[in-house]
Amino acid sequence: MNRPMNPDETTRQALIALIPRLRRFARVLTAGSIADADDVVQASLEKAMVNLDQWQPGTRLDAWVFRIARNHWVDDRRRAHNAKGHDDIGEMLDLAGDDGVAVTEASADARMVRAAVDSLPPEQRDVVALVMLEELSYREAADMLGLPIGTVMSRLSRAKAALAKRLTAEGTLQ
Amino acid sequence: MSATFTDAQLAAFLDGSLEDEGLIDAIEAAINADPALAERAEALAAGDDLAPLVRDAFAPLLDAPVPERLTAALAPQPAEVIDLAAVRAAQPSALPTPANDTGRSAWRWPQFGAMAASLVLGLMIGGPLLKGGGSADAPQGGELVLASADLDAMLNAAPSGQRTDLAALGEGEVVLTFRNADGQLCRQFLLEKSGATSDALACATGGGSWQVEAFGRRPAPAGEMKLAGGDAAPAVVAAVDAMIDSDPLVGTDEMAELGKK
Repeated sequence: MNRPMNPDETTRQALIALIPRLRRFARVLTAGSIADADDVVQASLEKAMVNLDQWQPGTRLDAWVFRIARNHWVDDRRRAHNAKGHDDIGEMLDLAGDDGVAVTEASADARMVRAAVDSLPPEQRDVVALVMLEELSYREAADMLGLPIGTVMSRLSRAKAALAKRLTAEGTLQ
Repeated sequence: MSATFTDAQLAAFLDGSLEDEGLIDAIEAAINADPALAERAEALAAGDDLAPLVRDAFAPLLDAPVPERLTAALAPQPAEVIDLAAVRAAQPSALPTPANDTGRSAWRWPQFGAMAASLVLGLMIGGPLLKGGGSADAPQGGELVLASADLDAMLNAAPSGQRTDLAALGEGEVVLTFRNADGQLCRQFLLEKSGATSDALACATGGGSWQVEAFGRRPAPAGEMKLAGGDAAPAVVAAVDAMIDSDPLVGTDEMAELGKK
């Protein structure tokens, strides 16, 4: 009966630890600037805090928060206010790069990969974010998105085909 | 027309090298319809060259410093739980009385220090709700005791779910009635005034009054998200969770228990 009062500090720390992954997830969904992604992350964390009593301890906190983030993004997108911001992840690196040419080449490749991912339709970016980046299984991704597993597979299949085609043409992928 | 697919076809489907759109659709439909085929396809899933490239491209975000506004979204809510010890330590006579419905922003927290917890109770509903140790009839120890006769009456007699007009306090409604481990009768209730909702938990004391155990302002709904049922202030929900030691009392049971609180 000695349960901590709001907010449970362990859960709060777990949420803080999730923020970097959540930013990456939101960045892939929004296909825009880091600030766009952070808007989604901030709103998701606020919703998570308000609804923390709805999370079942023992179930995956990350999956719960990612679902909140995606639902928020889908609702947000329906409101259709989105002027896409430009990809500014590279600018983050400019501050850190000290190995001249190698860094420049690597970041040019990375920029092309991000541009390729950003150009995918939203339903394909969903599965890229969950299966490629978060490394969920097809089944876990299907559960989170509320889709049949074959549909998740075909969306990722089409995403991979589009990415491979574009990146091969650009010489990023041999 | 259950088509059969070779492992090579399924593998090509998974890695994105299948170019026949019709075949992609056919395999998708077949997998969706056939759990055994889905399992076969899952077992064939393999790594590819693309995933590491994509992970590298977005990796900088994982290492980047987290903006303060994001961690701030997870900051503990100040003074959502009444800290009885802090209130006891405070000098109740120094408690400022809001002259009118000035709202929270008119008060600066630091200058009140330990009294903030009791102060916020009054401010949240726009007026003094409590009587502190400063008045002559205050209980020893400075517990927070409800000072509204209307609120007292609601807690003493109103069944759960019934809206009650609380005059200057707005409207109230008891949400939940239960007994705690000490056998005290406790009631979670909400107060609504000018569109703002607060939640509280009070337990009956031996002396027949109600002592506030937790109190919180309900967060304004974020964005357009519809909050599900259990959307009371988290501090109050947590307090109820920690204290509840009986099934919720409803109907005639609730009335009977109120009679012998």
